Amino acid sequence: MTITLTINGRRLTLAVEPGERLSDLLRREGFLGVKIGCGAGDCGACAVLLNGRAVNSCLVFAAKADGAEVVTVEGLEREGRLHPVQEAFLDEGGIQCGYCTPGMVISAVDLLSRNPDPTEGEIRRALSGNLCRCTGYVKQIRAVQRAAAAMKGGGPDA
Amino acid sequence: MLAERGSAAKPIGGGIDAMLYPAPETTTLVDLSGAGLSYVRGEDGLAIGAATTFTEIVESPLAGKYLGGVLIEVLEKVASPLQRNLGTIGGTLGSAHPWSDVIPLLLALDAALSVYDGRQRRLPLTEYLADRARERRGLIVDVRLPTPPETSACAFEAFGTTGFDVAVLNCACFVSFDAGRCASARIAVGGTPALAARLPAVEESLIGRPLDEDAVGRAAALAGEAIDARDDRRATAAYRRVLADVGVSRCLRRVAERLRGTK
Repeated sequence: MTITLTINGRRLTLAVEPGERLSDLLRREGFLGVKIGCGAGDCGACAVLLNGRAVNSCLVFAAKADGAEVVTVEGLEREGRLHPVQEAFLDEGGIQCGYCTPGMVISAVDLLSRNPDPTEGEIRRALSGNLCRCTGYVKQIRAVQRAAAAMKGGGPDA
Repeated sequence: MLAERGSAAKPIGGGIDAMLYPAPETTTLVDLSGAGLSYVRGEDGLAIGAATTFTEIVESPLAGKYLGGVLIEVLEKVASPLQRNLGTIGGTLGSAHPWSDVIPLLLALDAALSVYDGRQRRLPLTEYLADRARERRGLIVDVRLPTPPETSACAFEAFGTTGFDVAVLNCACFVSFDAGRCASARIAVGGTPALAARLPAVEESLIGRPLDEDAVGRAAALAGEAIDARDDRRATAAYRRVLADVGVSRCLRRVAERLRGTK
């Protein structure tokens, strides 16, 4: 079947298989920032924004994305500049092997779009669907706090 | 299309279960996310459209006000944020997993469902769950929660190895009061590992009594005996009986605290 959707601002018409996952479609189309970790909705590495909300793209039928707006980690930069959340992950060293990072960034972007000034508890809860198997979560949490401060216009050290 | 194709067609909300547990006989999925069934309305209590995601319910001020916010308290912890942005209340009830945290809560809140199967009708959630094979042919339109009596409260408790893991056992208790005594009670326990069910014997033990330590202890001990406890890879039946006792006593104590808070 054929679906039309917007991926990172570009409107595309694509052929999909009936049972195909959105994560597989996106990777097939070259959006390799969408990682397949567990393929069962547990790890969050495949998170994308679907109509503005972060979801496990491995749990979404590609056909269900017909008419939807999808943003992958590749779609977050603007005019060659990384998104403040991406910058903050780099600055805080919130990246270990990098496999969970796109999903973490997507969850953080969803959070900050609704709650520009989250508490640490709110950040922890917002990232609770994204598993990091390298080390832990402290630096990612700090990165989200840093991004929140930067996005409020206070600069990275505010 | 659902009517024409019978069991070969299945309605989906977020589609999570259809993805994770595909049924071989299902060849057509009908996505309800564009069907206008995403809403939380204050109609004789609360009406929650079947395709409303858990996130949408949690963010709804109406749902937040319902019975001291117990819906939010439970639903904001269901699965993960990424899944709550996708999963719907109708999907959860259609799948009716025995480990669901949502079902014992809705049983305690005396939920009813609007179901469409050529005509729209209303039936209690208990009835829907009792005859799922038949009822699943109908399409869940919305979930109805009654306006609770003024002096009433509800509490929920789940036991799991981690916050994200499905519960080894969960329970929800609702009690309404009249002149300091229990006028009605609904106690539901799930993950026994059978599908959540109400415990009439426990409910009856509370009626007409003040919700003091004695009544709580008796009801909790009864709950431990009354559940359909079995062993599975998560826990033994004996452990589940202890959890039901502890869970019901915690819920009932919290109900009593909440009622004192409203006085």
